[in-house]
Amino acid sequence: MKTLIIGEVSNSTLSSGTLEILGKAKELGTEFELITIGSVDAPSIGIDSITQKYVKRNAENLQFNNIATMISEYIKDNEVKLVLSSSTYVCRDIISFISVDLLSSPVSNVIDFSISNGSVETINSINGGESIYKSKVNSEHALLLIRPKAFEPIEAEFNDNYDILEVEDSNIPIFNIFKEEKEGPQLEDSKIVISAGRGMVDKDNLTMINELANKLNAAVGGTRAIVDAGWMPYSQQVGQTGKTVKPDIYIACGISGATQHQVGMKDSKFIIAINKDEEAPIFQIADLGIVGDTLSVIPKLNENI
Amino acid sequence: MILMKIAVCAKQIPDPANTMEYSEGTLNRPDEQVLDDTDRYGIEIALQLKEKFDAEVTIISMGPEGTQKGLQQALQMGADKAYFVDDPSLKGANSLMTANVLSQLALKSEADIVIFGTESTDGYSGTVPQQVSRFLNLDCISYVKGIEINDEVKLTRQTIEGSENINLPEKCVISVTAGGVEPRYPNFKDIMAAKSKPVEKIDLATLELTAEQNLEFVTIENVESSKAGEKVVDEGEAFNKIIEKLKELKAI
Repeated sequence: MKTLIIGEVSNSTLSSGTLEILGKAKELGTEFELITIGSVDAPSIGIDSITQKYVKRNAENLQFNNIATMISEYIKDNEVKLVLSSSTYVCRDIISFISVDLLSSPVSNVIDFSISNGSVETINSINGGESIYKSKVNSEHALLLIRPKAFEPIEAEFNDNYDILEVEDSNIPIFNIFKEEKEGPQLEDSKIVISAGRGMVDKDNLTMINELANKLNAAVGGTRAIVDAGWMPYSQQVGQTGKTVKPDIYIACGISGATQHQVGMKDSKFIIAINKDEEAPIFQIADLGIVGDTLSVIPKLNENI
Repeated sequence: MILMKIAVCAKQIPDPANTMEYSEGTLNRPDEQVLDDTDRYGIEIALQLKEKFDAEVTIISMGPEGTQKGLQQALQMGADKAYFVDDPSLKGANSLMTANVLSQLALKSEADIVIFGTESTDGYSGTVPQQVSRFLNLDCISYVKGIEINDEVKLTRQTIEGSENINLPEKCVISVTAGGVEPRYPNFKDIMAAKSKPVEKIDLATLELTAEQNLEFVTIENVESSKAGEKVVDEGEAFNKIIEKLKELKAI
């Protein structure tokens, strides 16, 4: 099945989501091409034996509509049947625009898919991972938005072997481009993640979480509730609308474990949960559950590690 | 000054406190549904614009009408009127069909600015705002997490690396992330006033629709869950249990 992967550049190379989708495409042995979107000059994204185009966008102009138009035309001209991309901000916009051009509704939050007899069947996770939802795409084109960490990434050596496509500006300028400082271990690739929830009571109590994270060389995450409350930047949110993590150890501190949070962390290898409420749903997926006050347990961990 | 027209999408959803149940692949919707909290942020932004500029705010909605509780909650916040579509043929509508219907309602309201939450709490497709913008041939400013309203309106967009600013164009679609603004609570007067605001059911047959159902439900399967492990009640020493485990896992 002729497949197009829409990739993204991150830190001047292919994003982890793109590498994961490439991993799946390689496993399926399907014929595919790659169109990668980014704003940096000369990223190192080329991979031997994969045909790739680099859409170099202007970071200071809102160009996503024009990029989508280019890709829609490419899909029609080249009779692409399957389009795969990560569920990121940029790709969600692009796939949504393309779906209108092709009159084919996309499937969001896909965790796996298969191709048989020329049709695509997708798998979604619902009810916080308790059930899976299978559907079949019946349109000429299938558009899939894939959740992060769904597949094992491809291992690749990068070169600068790709064609560059320029994009026309729209009349909407972008200004004050701000890049958040990233210090210490990052959520997506840290072996240990410590997350905080409402049970931490107050923003100031996050210092004890940070102290523990330093000791364990862990990344720090949080629930949507505390991100909305302004305790942490959105980039640290774990869950349905935030990041998906699969560390070796996940320590949930004062997190009740709403299904939206579980979607982002339930596949962690070992889950430790600390919560006052014995009935908290987080305990259903915890390998080790401590029924107690996070605010008294964590300082003791800090003293003794 | 010309009246600014704003349409805000508001979805009625089953109370998120209850477990979601499905039949034939479609979410069961009780008669009484509530306003999706995600939409309160978009409504708040519309109302802030209305306070600064002279604006008319129309709620647009699709889905089973039921008791209209969710629509009332949207009007109670301060929107002026509501248009909704409720048609049995839309049961299990995909995101594209939904966007198609909502874009037609936005046209009907003659909106310059169309505002959405980023994704509904019950569906989570996260594509409808962008699809509506494409149907309407408007620019889409997605993932807005902040707004500064002066003579110009400055939007702050969430990006993967941080944030960026865009001035609100005269016509566009925006999607708003949770937490971007503080949604207001209606008082008793607002609640009473909402009852007399116009709520109009729009006949699906009067809309120009091109999207069709291309996604076929196959099955829902339960995954083996409940890997619940050891549970210890803390009596002051439970931290030792964690340290033991961390040692075993070679984390320390």
